[in-house]
Amino acid sequence: MALNSLLITGLLLSVLTFFLTKINKKLGSYFTIFSTLFVLVFLFGYMNDVGTVFNLWSFGGFSLQLVSSNYGWFFSIIMVLTYFLVSFFNPYWVEKMVNPASYNMLYVFSVVSTLGVFFAKDFLTLFIFWEMVVWSSLFIIPLGKSRKASVVYYAISTIGSFSMFFAIMYLYSLFQTFDIKSISQNLISSPNTAVMAYFVIIIAGLAKLGIFPFHTWLPIAHGNAPHTFSPVLSGGLVKMGAFIALLVSAIIPTSQIFSNHIHIIGVPYENYIIMVLGAISIIVGTLMAIKQEDAKRLIAYSTVANGGYILIGISLLDQVGFAGGMMHIFNHAMASAAMFLTIGAVAYRTGTTNMSELGGMIKKMPVTFAAYLIAIISIAGIPPTSGFASKWLIFQGLASEGLMFIAFATFFGSIGSFMYVFRPLATVFLGQLSPKHNDVKEVPFMMQIPMLVMSLLTIYFGVFPSQMLGFISKIQASLNIVPISVEGSKIYSFSGMWDSLVITAVFVIGFIIAALIFYTHKKAQPVDQMNTYTAGEFIYDPESYHYAKNYYAPFERLYKNHPSVEKFYDAIALRVNEFGRLVRSWFFSSNASVGVFWISVIITIAFFWGDKI
Amino acid sequence: MSYLIALMIVFIGFLWQVSIDGIQRKVTAKVHRRVGPPWYQTFMDIFKALSKSSITHGFIYDFGVMMALGGTIATFMFLPFGNIVAFNGLDNFFVVVYLLAIGSLGMAMSASGSGNAWAGIGIMRALTQMVAYEVPFMIVVFGMIHVYGTSSLSELAHVQQMNGILGWHIFTMPLGAIVAFISLLGMLNKVPFDTPIAPTEIASGPMVEYGGKHFGMLMLQHEFATLVEVGLFVNLFLGGGNLIEYLIKYFFVYTLVTLIYAVSARFRIENVVTFFYGVPIVLSLVQAAIVIFTGLGVNV
Repeated sequence: MALNSLLITGLLLSVLTFFLTKINKKLGSYFTIFSTLFVLVFLFGYMNDVGTVFNLWSFGGFSLQLVSSNYGWFFSIIMVLTYFLVSFFNPYWVEKMVNPASYNMLYVFSVVSTLGVFFAKDFLTLFIFWEMVVWSSLFIIPLGKSRKASVVYYAISTIGSFSMFFAIMYLYSLFQTFDIKSISQNLISSPNTAVMAYFVIIIAGLAKLGIFPFHTWLPIAHGNAPHTFSPVLSGGLVKMGAFIALLVSAIIPTSQIFSNHIHIIGVPYENYIIMVLGAISIIVGTLMAIKQEDAKRLIAYSTVANGGYILIGISLLDQVGFAGGMMHIFNHAMASAAMFLTIGAVAYRTGTTNMSELGGMIKKMPVTFAAYLIAIISIAGIPPTSGFASKWLIFQGLASEGLMFIAFATFFGSIGSFMYVFRPLATVFLGQLSPKHNDVKEVPFMMQIPMLVMSLLTIYFGVFPSQMLGFISKIQASLNIVPISVEGSKIYSFSGMWDSLVITAVFVIGFIIAALIFYTHKKAQPVDQMNTYTAGEFIYDPESYHYAKNYYAPFERLYKNHPSVEKFYDAIALRVNEFGRLVRSWFFSSNASVGVFWISVIITIAFFWGDKI
Repeated sequence: MSYLIALMIVFIGFLWQVSIDGIQRKVTAKVHRRVGPPWYQTFMDIFKALSKSSITHGFIYDFGVMMALGGTIATFMFLPFGNIVAFNGLDNFFVVVYLLAIGSLGMAMSASGSGNAWAGIGIMRALTQMVAYEVPFMIVVFGMIHVYGTSSLSELAHVQQMNGILGWHIFTMPLGAIVAFISLLGMLNKVPFDTPIAPTEIASGPMVEYGGKHFGMLMLQHEFATLVEVGLFVNLFLGGGNLIEYLIKYFFVYTLVTLIYAVSARFRIENVVTFFYGVPIVLSLVQAAIVIFTGLGVNV
């Protein structure tokens, strides 16, 4: 199916979903699985298709056009795959939704709109579909816990959208075209405009990717969105920001345009500034994630940190770091969506995402636990999962450039991620099982499918990362970046090679040795979870014996008085609010004399200016 | 073939480290004016623990122990042991650092799986301490990797041997060596950085629930982790060398660690973090900056 008709069909399918859900809630929810699968299947055909132009709509002298490209395919397949897998959760949550019909419609609508963003040939198409995605998610978020969340989301999103729109119109006024390719050709000859365009457009990307100082919407929106939408928000939609970053730094060839500009440690200062923002997000995201008591907010802050990795990788624009950043998009989509899904699964059975109220879920939900374990191993970047592949490549990229301050942030975030990902593991899945959760069951098999598939994909691309890096090398070639060299399961970088297959084999050998030692010795006697050493105290209550609240209290104490950009935003909001109240008290008072006063003032002005007008 | 060499290294490393550990107990005893146990005491401890009966708190409790020991053994297989490198080209610094985390994660998971609150506190402290010591160490090595263009540990050891003893990074990059040595104390969980274990405060933290073969396996895990951690320091800062040289250097580094821990008291956990994020992190950044921007101390 041609790309433009796929898009139109997808949008029609979303409308169909709406009416089907009106007829039957379950039917409509199953239809979201079908719709996303439909898009996924037809999208696969565009894997190696580059440069075919599809006309979407023409009016006057303008036309909305799509063009197939390998980077667009890479982004969109990740997005649609995440949506497809998460949609298996929809039929189970539909009963708890306030407005299931519009949820299901917007769910399909937003994924199809992202295709328009990723395959846009011109900025106008990109912007229109970008706004469609923003608006559809805007209406989904309040279906969750909080209505205010979508206000915060929209406020931050608007900053990005407006600045992008301003840049697009400015570039149009200069070059009389919306076409991305011809604009990037024109920008090469006018580097000063390019600097402006780079910064103004990338703000939209930063806002979407949740980069400091625009990260504040992520914990609020992800934490309050419906449990079925948080995974796609974090795993999928956030990656649109990465696409914008890719667009303005690689598709508009900044390494070429900025090559004569001031370089900081071998990187043009423009890219370095963006990398510094990525580094700050890593540190802020990590520190804030450690503090959270709510599992969903914790994962949202980890998304902030991982957005930093992606941005740094893409801004490096080199052989290995760029490939690492691109691969991290996929890894993070799978891992964070899986984390959100497992927490959603726990919430489906227990009704809470507050970590200190849970505990010991492993006995009741082993599959969910396994999926969470694999996801966090990938987020923490430990072999043999795919998260290690991308982190290794980003480290190599940073090491080859010698960017030590950025590297400091990435190391801190990488080690710090052990701290925050371990917390839900220990407090939700391990530890003491509260008696009120004694009758909790594993989620239905339908809900286990996406978790299992995501885990398998994480391990598959961890053992065979070259499968994906091969495709990324094609993207690099099409963007005039030296492609990463891959040979079988070996990956080469400037500082040596790495063979994922051997590492996995050695890990298996090590595990076999350990298992041999374990199983050849005396069988252990199983005891109850409460039957533990308590230093002479007698504790019969599992809840008070479960160490979950204020988990990292000593570490949090070290930065409890941290400066916060939220306070700054709150201060701005307060001022705006005060100004609004001032205006209202002047003009919109319920007191009649105020109205009479303004009417007389206006009449007086009109009277004295009358003859001049 | 390389797999056989790896297994051989694991066996030799086991014998070496466990004997050394026994000798260190003698050294500590001498500092404390005691007699101390015989040098083979650690062997006896491990085999005794493995042969005794134990308890289990469920699947994850067993699985975590296996993952801890297996992951740590796998890490050790990649480390150059003297001039023996089992997997040529794969003795990559980042691979070693991250594979080592599998061992820690397994142990943390197993200990949390026991449901003991002391274990939970111990794990919390261990993870916090990891953030503290790992970052300065990685920055120092980051500078090294940048200037030599290789992250292979055996090659980094090799470049130091070209200018004789004075080419060792402990002399050419003294700031980095100091930072790495302090980080090594943190990695080994030795006093003053034994906060996660802290027997007097939190009943040995992660270890509180273990007995019998589980405890024996975690003792083994600790020995292999020590092999990796001290081995990293010897390879990166003391120039590696052939097997005999390597073992001698290893012995000296480990004895120095022992001498420090025999006479120190324990840090509180937040003090560990503020300690590492004070002077060591500044020194590590200075060292990396010197290496990257001036090239001072780089062997050519």
